[in-house]
Order: sequence, then C-alpha cells, then structure tokens
Amino acid sequence: MKLSCLQENLSKGLNIVGRSVATRSTLPITQNVLLAAEQSQLKLVTTNLEMATTCWIGAKVEQEGAITIPARLLTDFVNSLPNDLIEITLPPNSHMLEFNSGRIRAHMNGIDAEDFPPTPQINNGIITHIEADALRQGITQVVFAAATEESRPVLAGINTEFENEQLNLVAADGYRLALHKMPLASTIEQQYTVIIPARTLNELNHLLGNQQDPVEITINEQRSQVLFRLKNVEIVSQLIQGSFPDYSQVIPKSYTTRAVVDITEFMRVAKMSSVFARNANGIIRLLITPGADLNAGKITISAQAEEIGDNVSEVDALVDGEEAKIAFNVKYLSDVLSSIPQSQIALEISTPSSPGVIRPIGVDNYVHVIMPMFVQW
Amino acid sequence: MPIKVLAPGVISQIAAGEVIENPASVVKELVENSLDAGASQIKVEVQGGGIELIGVVDDGAGISAAEVELAFQRHATSKITDVDDLSSTSTLGFRGEALSSIAAAAEVELYTQAASEVVGSRIRLSQGKVVRQESRSRPRGTTVTMRWLFRHLPARLKFLKSASREESRIVHLLTQYALAFPEVKFRLLVDQHLNFETTGDGSLRGVVACLYGREMAQKMLVIEGEGTTPALSGLLSPPSLTRSNRSYISIFVNRRWVRSPLLIKATEVAYRGLLMEGRHPIAVINLALPSADVDVNVHPAKAQVRFRDEQMLFSMVQESLRAVLSQVPIATEKTVPFTTSSRQGESSWELHDREASVIAPLPTIELPVLRVLGQLSNTYIIAEGPDGLYLVDQHAAHERIRYERILAQWKRQEVEVQGLLSPVTVELNPRQEATLKSNRELLVQFGFSLEPFGSRSYLMRAVPVLIANTNVVEAITTLLDNLAAREDPVPWQEKIARTLACHSAIRGGQQLSREEMGELIRQLERAEQPRTCPHGRPTMIHLTSHQIEKEFGRIV
Repeated sequence: MKLSCLQENLSKGLNIVGRSVATRSTLPITQNVLLAAEQSQLKLVTTNLEMATTCWIGAKVEQEGAITIPARLLTDFVNSLPNDLIEITLPPNSHMLEFNSGRIRAHMNGIDAEDFPPTPQINNGIITHIEADALRQGITQVVFAAATEESRPVLAGINTEFENEQLNLVAADGYRLALHKMPLASTIEQQYTVIIPARTLNELNHLLGNQQDPVEITINEQRSQVLFRLKNVEIVSQLIQGSFPDYSQVIPKSYTTRAVVDITEFMRVAKMSSVFARNANGIIRLLITPGADLNAGKITISAQAEEIGDNVSEVDALVDGEEAKIAFNVKYLSDVLSSIPQSQIALEISTPSSPGVIRPIGVDNYVHVIMPMFVQW
Repeated sequence: MPIKVLAPGVISQIAAGEVIENPASVVKELVENSLDAGASQIKVEVQGGGIELIGVVDDGAGISAAEVELAFQRHATSKITDVDDLSSTSTLGFRGEALSSIAAAAEVELYTQAASEVVGSRIRLSQGKVVRQESRSRPRGTTVTMRWLFRHLPARLKFLKSASREESRIVHLLTQYALAFPEVKFRLLVDQHLNFETTGDGSLRGVVACLYGREMAQKMLVIEGEGTTPALSGLLSPPSLTRSNRSYISIFVNRRWVRSPLLIKATEVAYRGLLMEGRHPIAVINLALPSADVDVNVHPAKAQVRFRDEQMLFSMVQESLRAVLSQVPIATEKTVPFTTSSRQGESSWELHDREASVIAPLPTIELPVLRVLGQLSNTYIIAEGPDGLYLVDQHAAHERIRYERILAQWKRQEVEVQGLLSPVTVELNPRQEATLKSNRELLVQFGFSLEPFGSRSYLMRAVPVLIANTNVVEAITTLLDNLAAREDPVPWQEKIARTLACHSAIRGGQQLSREEMGELIRQLERAEQPRTCPHGRPTMIHLTSHQIEKEFGRIV
C-alpha cells in the first residue's frame, strides 16, 4: 500500500469516522480505524458493531492495500501535523505503517485489515431522499426524548415512519414524547416503519452540519439495517427490532387551558427556576392564569428546594381557558424549549395529572407531550 | 407396669437434671451462691471441660457447721422463707436446689467456715449421700469442689458436648458474671492455666479491659441511665467496633445475666443502619427494674425472664442506646488496613486516667468540609479534608443521601411522583402479588400507582420521581421481593426507602464529573448519618494526615 494525501483531508476524515469508534469493547480491533487505498481514494472505516461510519478522502494511490491502525493514535498524530502532503506506505508483508510528511517521519504498528469486522453492504431495499436541513431539525427535536435507560430497548430508538411523501420521527421515554413530521424529497410507494437507535441519529446529526445535498436513506430488505449516504460519508446502523408503543393514544386530543408564550422568556425563567429545582428532583410548578380586565394572562413558575430556598417568577402569556396548574420536571421542559427554533409555543393542559402538550406556533410539524409530576400544591 | 411412687434418689436425680444440664450450670449455681454469700473474691477452677473437676472458692459468709448437712437437702435455702419473698427476692438463687442437685449428679466436697465460728467444716458427698464429715479450720468462706459430673448418670453424660465446648460455655458464663459484678474479683483457671482475672475494683470499663482487651475498653461508650425507670447503665461499643456474633451482647436485669431475645433485638435495632450486615455490637447493659416488674422464676436455670411491659422496655432500651450512639463520630475510628493507630502503647495504660477523656462529650456526627480531588476506579471519590484524605464510596454515599431524602419526603407526606405517559405492565409472581396486596397503601404513599390488570399483572401509572430514570419494572419487583424477605426486622417504610435508594443511586464504575462529585459530597455533608450507607456499610474511609506522614516516614 502506498499513497499520498493532504493532512487537512485526512484529519477531517478521521474526525468524521472517529465518532463511531468503540470506546469500550471486547473486540480490540474495533478501536482501530481501517485505512484502505482504493483507486484514487483513501477509505476510512470505523465501527462499534452497532453502527459503522465510512468516509472517503481524495488521495493519490500508487499501490492499493489496507491496514487498521489504533484510531486515537492516528487521529492525534495527524491532527498535530502541519497542513502538508502526507505519504503513507505499508511495506509488503508488514504491519508497520510508515508516515512521511516534510521532515517528519513516523511508524505505527497496525492489525491486519482482514480481521476488521466487515461493513454491511446495503444495495437494494427501500430508497428515499430527504433534505439535510429538515432531517437535522427533525432529529434535534426528538432525539433527546428517547430513553437512555435500556430496560425497554425500543424506547432507546427513534420510531421512523415513512409515509408516502412524509417522514415521521417519534421518540418517547415513558414520561415524554416528541413527534416531528417532515416531507420526503422523493416519495416512497408504501408505508414503512423502522426503529433507528437514538445514538445513530445523534451521530448522523453531527455529520449533517456541513451537508448541502439531500441525504439518501436505504433500508435493507430484511429491515435489519439502515444506510445513510451523505457526501463522501456513509453510516450503516443496525435497526432496533420490536414494535414501538402506539403513541397516538398518548397525545391528548383536547385541552381546557392553552397558553401562548414567548420561548426565550419562558426558557430564561425555566433556567432560573432550575437553580432551585435541581435540589428538588427537578420539580417546577406552573400556574396559568387567564387575563382579566386590563391584566394580561400569565404563567407563574415556581420552584422550591427544602432547606435551600425557592423562587417565583412570571411570564406574560396569551391564555385561553380557565386557570390551571401543572408540575413538570424542569429538564423535560427546557429540553423541548431549547429544541424549538420558532419564537413562540403553545402550552396546552387540562388537569394537574394529565399530560401537557407543547406545540410551536406557526408550524404544525411538531408535538411534544410531557407527563406531569404529581406534587402537593 | 403398675404405677408407683419413685424412690427419693430417682426423684432427686430427675430434679437435678432440670438445674444441672452441663458443667456450666454447676459453675453458675456455685458462683451465684458465692455472690449471694457476699463474696468479694471468687476463684473458679475447671478441668477437663468441667466434667472432671469444678472448684469454686470464695471469701463469702460461709455456712455454719450446724447447717452444712442441711444445705444439701432439696429446697433448703437461706434466701427466702415464704411465697411472698419470691416477688421481692434480690438474691440470684432462691429455689434451694443447687447444692442438692449438684450432689445428686456428682461427687461433691464442701469446705466452709462461717465468720462467727472458730472452726470450719468439711463434708464430702457421693451420689447425694454423706460419705465423710469432719471439722477443720480455714479462713472465712466456702470452697465447693465437684468431681466427675454425671459419672453415675451415663444417659446425661452422653449428651454433654466435647470438653472444649463445655469449657467455652463456662468461660462465657463466668465472663458474664464478671461483667455483672465489677466489684468482685473473679479469677478463672482452666486446666491450671489462668484464663482471666478481674481486678474487682468496681469499674466496669476495667472488667471489659480485662476480658476483651484494653483497646476495646477505651473505645466503649458509656450508657448513662440518668434516673430513668428502669435505670439503664453499662457500656456500648461505637459502630466502628463490631463482632461477628451476638455473644458480646451481655444483658443483666437486676445484676442477673439473662438471655433475652427481646433486649438483644432492642440493642441491635439501636445500631440499625450503622453496622454492616452480619456484624454485631459489643454491649454490657445493666437494667435495674423493680422486682415486681420482672419474673425470673420461669425456669430453674433463671436465664429466661418475663417482663411486665415488654413493649415499653423494648423502646426504652432501644431509644436510650440510640441516643448514646448518635453522639459518635464514626469514620475516624475506622482503622486503615495498612497501618495501625499509633496512639496505643504510648504510655502505660491507666484505666482511670483514660476514663475522663473517653466519657467527655463527643461531637455530633458532622463531616468536615471536603474538597474533591478526583475519582478512583470510577467508584471512589478522593477528597481532601482538614485532617487528611477521605475515600468516599460514591454508591454508598449517594444511597445514604437518597435514603434520607426518601424517608423525609415520606414523613412529610410529600413524596414526589412522576406520571407515566402510558402505563407499564408489571407481571408479578404469587408471592410478590401477596406482598403488594398487603402493602398497597404504603406503596402508594411512596409514589407507586398500581392497578390490577388481569391475573397477577398490574398497570403502573406513576412512579417515585427518584427512580423515574431507572428500570421501573425492576424497581417494583425488587422492592416487593425485599419486602417479602422476613428475616430482616426493619420496618416496612425503611425497607422501601432502602430499596429505592439503592436502586436509584449512582453505581460503582460510573464516571462522574468534578461538578457531580462536588455536589455529591456537599449533599453528603448535609446528611444526618453521612458515615454509613443504609445497609450499614461505611461511605468513607479516612486516612489521617498523621497516618500519611507516618507511612512516609516524615514522623516516627
């Protein structure tokens, strides 16, 4: 194997694939990155056995070949090199990869590429496309609501529904639910539902940042794997098997009180309350008062921590309906508020023990449901 | 077989069996006689596990020559005269069965001289009959020597344990008397070697020092009865000092050693949450009750007692001991494995000099302000305090914080509950279901909302906030299993709080950020019992600056 490439490209590529390197694994080779010189490209692959990331960078290949090198070592070394041409050579029948860049030389001991877990090939199945921006927003608005606790594996994934021209992403952890709907760039013939690990979508989200073109999504025929194809990058991930709970029952159809409030203001106050709430299991109490006569409607937010202190603050709100109160975990509230790009939201509630609903004003592609905390009032 | 009245010899042998079961009961009867005779010194000699020989020498009142022979008759006693005396007796013995029973079971020689007489008498009995009697002078007191226990009763001999077992029973028994009577000088010789000797100077701590060692005696805490009824006094080990069995809990009612499961339990309950599982305290507890409130005449051996108001006594003992314990700083007592405390042996140990410093008021449990330095093995937080290094077990510490918070919320009836978006189905086994049914109310108070949903399955609609981000199904099933476990005498609410705390606390092996560790330590500082987890494991180990400097050889 013999090739040369630019430090800048190699460094970028390693940072992209670096996110799916196994951190703790019983299979040591998964902590390595696979380097394969093919035609006029250098292919970089990492896998943690749940997902694999492949990235191609431009290179001048003199002799094809492949080797795996500890990812951390290689990334740290390449990041510290000046932006210059790097020559990479692997002598025949050797595992010692040689680097030459200007006046710098280095050798790294690798493991045979044959031993690297093969990346699943997904060529046929259901193929569709989606705008990168829309996907990024969708992932951002649901992924935090997925369960981190793994007793119910399906809840650690995002329920992904392809419906003709539409893609729905749903996440729920038992206490809250987020549903985001977005248009597909290419229509799909039938309805299709898979559960994608939240971790995979999180990593994908990071890579979508500098993606302009639509993302190609392929689901294999066995519905066991999904492939996201970006420019020069591919992510393959296992899908979570099982069926997602029927969430349509969970989203309340009606409300008795609806408050429209400015997000920035609401967010600021919630953050302030969390200073106290974090010592009280995150509980904040919301009291929604409708406007009367000349007084505007408002939401009164309070938090109190035993033996520490308390705070109360108010934000103006356009309140429709009767006075109502509800208690939330402040984390759940600020998670959703910080994921909404619009400037206002509507908070819809009925009783202190039934779920509260948050919807952005101006769009109807997002619903967030939070189950309240039952507290003494 | 026709019915007939048994011969007197047979009757006395049967009766003897009630009082004399083993060599230790012979020692017990003889020592009690000596104590009742007002002895200030008692020497006990044992050979062959007490089967071959038991000798008890005292300097008590002695028996006058005229009464010597009478002493060996059944129900002959100097201690009571009529039934009314039974309820007011203050002597250890009163049934008048001891000497006659021993004489029926073995060869006995009594050598005694009463203070008022110029000459003593010596009498020897075999199988309950006098074989020799003579007048002989000796210092005031009584010597009883018993040889060959159960020699003529092979059936009983068969049931004795090995000599070494019988011997340890005697040692344990005599230990108890030594603890009960610090003003009497006890001396025990086993196979002609000195087993222990007490000073007889009246100091209980001194007796503990002689029996259990000086180091232990120094650390024992004083129980002060302050005129309560019943009056309670004695010594109690701090939680850092434990033993692996209960035999170090000695309880005396009106100076009589009793085996009272009730009071032993009260003692252990007082230590709840302070000791590790399987560890037991060392305690010497003296209870003074009006003799009308206690009945010792349950069994000839008098080891069992009945109390008039058991419930009151239980809570009184438990609360008094708890009050003593709550004043102890715990972890500083913890010895660090690789070094020994340098304080011992620095001067010749003087009992009374030490007394003052040990009884001096101890500070309440409070942690010093700790500064987090880092995390060890993702399990222990390393922190620096004003006096050295602290290693904090993150799981145990968090468990303690959670436990206190859960119980506090429950007591204020302010348990915080997180609703579930859609109910979770919980499948229970029959035992879990039975536990659930009988504890439904309590579980609701702690924040669980469960509705029946078909056979043995339940819908969970809400959970306590603290466990919301854990496996809630596992939490409720573990909880039900723990509640069903009977051997643990802890009240239900504490069991629930313990399980929830354990379930929701951060685990060992979890990496924590500096902020998280700081927060954990701050919360631990505010805990009421920061030194132990609810199961009694220590939350921290303290390496004092002194120990560190000593290890590095900076000081000698």
